Amino acid sequence: MWALYLAPAALRPSAVTFVTLACSSTLDIIGVVASAIVARGLRRIFPPDLAAVDGIDLDIEEGRIFGFLGANGSGKTTTIRMLTTLLRPTEGSATVDGYDVVKDAAKVRARVGVALQEASLDLVMTGRETLLLQARLYRVPRGEVRQRVGDLLRIVDLEEAADRRVGTYSGGMQRRLDLAAALVHRPRIVFLDEPTSGLDPISRNTIWRYVEDLNRNDGVTFFLTTQYLEEADRLAHEVAIMERGRIVAQGAPAELKASIGADVVTVRLEDRNAQPDRALAAVKAIGGLTDVRVVGDSVVVYTKDGSSAIAPIVLALNEATVAVEEVTLARPTLDDVFLRKTGHHIEAQDREPEGVEGAAS
Amino acid sequence: MIDTMLDVYQLTLRSLREVVRQPAFEVQNYFIPLFFFAVTVGALGNVSERAFGLENYRAFAMPVAILQGAAGGASYSALAMVTDIERGYFDKLLLTPTPRISLVLGRLFGDGIRVVIITAVILIVGAIFGTGMEAGVAGYIAILILAGLFGLAYAGFGLAIALRTGSPQAAQAGFLIFFPLLFLAPAFAPKEFFSPWLEFLATINPVTYILEGMRALISEGWDWEKIGAALLAIAVLAAINMPLALWALRHRTA
Ligand SMILES: Nc1ncnc2c1ncn2[C@@H]1O[C@H](COP(=O)(O)OP(=O)(O)O)[C@@H](O)[C@H]1O
Ligand SMILES: [Mg+2]
Repeated sequence: MWALYLAPAALRPSAVTFVTLACSSTLDIIGVVASAIVARGLRRIFPPDLAAVDGIDLDIEEGRIFGFLGANGSGKTTTIRMLTTLLRPTEGSATVDGYDVVKDAAKVRARVGVALQEASLDLVMTGRETLLLQARLYRVPRGEVRQRVGDLLRIVDLEEAADRRVGTYSGGMQRRLDLAAALVHRPRIVFLDEPTSGLDPISRNTIWRYVEDLNRNDGVTFFLTTQYLEEADRLAHEVAIMERGRIVAQGAPAELKASIGADVVTVRLEDRNAQPDRALAAVKAIGGLTDVRVVGDSVVVYTKDGSSAIAPIVLALNEATVAVEEVTLARPTLDDVFLRKTGHHIEAQDREPEGVEGAAS
Repeated sequence: MIDTMLDVYQLTLRSLREVVRQPAFEVQNYFIPLFFFAVTVGALGNVSERAFGLENYRAFAMPVAILQGAAGGASYSALAMVTDIERGYFDKLLLTPTPRISLVLGRLFGDGIRVVIITAVILIVGAIFGTGMEAGVAGYIAILILAGLFGLAYAGFGLAIALRTGSPQAAQAGFLIFFPLLFLAPAFAPKEFFSPWLEFLATINPVTYILEGMRALISEGWDWEKIGAALLAIAVLAAINMPLALWALRHRTA
């Protein structure tokens, strides 16, 4: 099905490759892979002095899925708005497909597809009208517009709803339409701002599949932000964790997980009033552990070999007369990485699924 | 260039389609001017004809109704723009490669076309009630053109406010500014009967000249001096409002 995305595009790969390489000549070319998105010291201050994005560096290679992970308010949307020319950086610079986001804003816009947070649609238009206008404004050749829009409606499974007003669509349908709208001109680089927030698991999976297919079959580069760790883990080749405008960790999910020590031992204390400080001191005294932290009513221990660490930990707590409720041993997840780097769990704001997908979809 | 013109065309169509689908807003632009027209003519018609030495007060009052309808119609852009901004759809449009100016022109032309339609309906109703048209059939066309151009020029003001503030209340206030302008023009009585301070204000008010240009076509015929003054007044409005709207748009993406 996604061959549709590629089919007419198959006529131009050589030209595209040539152009991409030609304009990337000023950038770092590592081997033959060019950078799709580069940022240097990118910063945005909102008056009076809120550093929403506080000096970030990015190097995202073509053909990758880049996951931009962070809690609400960490600066994800502000970053996307700067990279897609909607917002001027206060400092620093960025290029997308080799073009400067300030000086060559129009060229950047023509090259990228963007689906903003909270599907930004006109509720009075129909789905088809939305895509037709989008295709025309993106200068899809006039003879191809209808065909392209028809194909996209089929791909995102909105054919039946195509001629209904967007206002009657469910959240999942709106998000799929928004995604299709970002793809009309077959962009090589696509920005998605929290594409699955607030969606039920089925809709979320559908969006994941689109992203994976486009990336695998057509080599489309994705920059996607998310508050969901499992989303970043499943989709992204590389993730960056944002915390108050700064990138606190960056790398492949597997790398990041490995970086925090092999295992995670979580000791839940029996009584919420138990002194976590005493427990912390007791466990820290053991030595040989990678890191120890208190999170809520638990002591979290990172260590190379979890199974052999459990006995000394329980013993130490026992000696310190801290009662233990539960001990669990786990391989690290991105959540552990997040916790380790930021000192707290990520809180996704809008977890509740929004009800069953519209029957018409 | 051709691409940009096609974009403007598509965006204008979108603007018109919205109004067809949400007719509630548009109805008042027909109803209110005609209602005021009927009431003023009914209440003041006889008195005014005698007091001001006018032959036909309906002809005198007609341009007021037209400008009311035009200003109402031309204030749609601002409200629609605020909705687009609030919904985030405006960001989607900003992300497309179309030049910024087409986003403004698409809205303005939508308003201009609707103003011509509103004016046509008001003119027809007026004709049925005996306003007459000294300038003949071509006079109707001239009034449609004047009203359409006024709509374009005037809409830029509301659009600037909408783009700058993104606030529905502010956009509404931009429309209300028209009323003092209309009533500081010779809307109900000829300027000669104004007290000096009001006459002075009327003289520097561009709406005065647009009103008098239309009035000349209806009650006198082709008075080129007055028609020229009306066109000039519209050009002055446009010269203020257009740059204002473009400035507000540029500010939005800073
Ligand atoms: N236009 C704006 N004006 C002022 N502050 C803003 C604006 N946009 C975002 N912010 C602030 O910048 C910070 C980062 O916001 P945002 O980039 O939206 O984060 P995220 O997308 O990660 O939730 C937040 O504190 C937010 O309140
Ligand atoms: Mg956000």
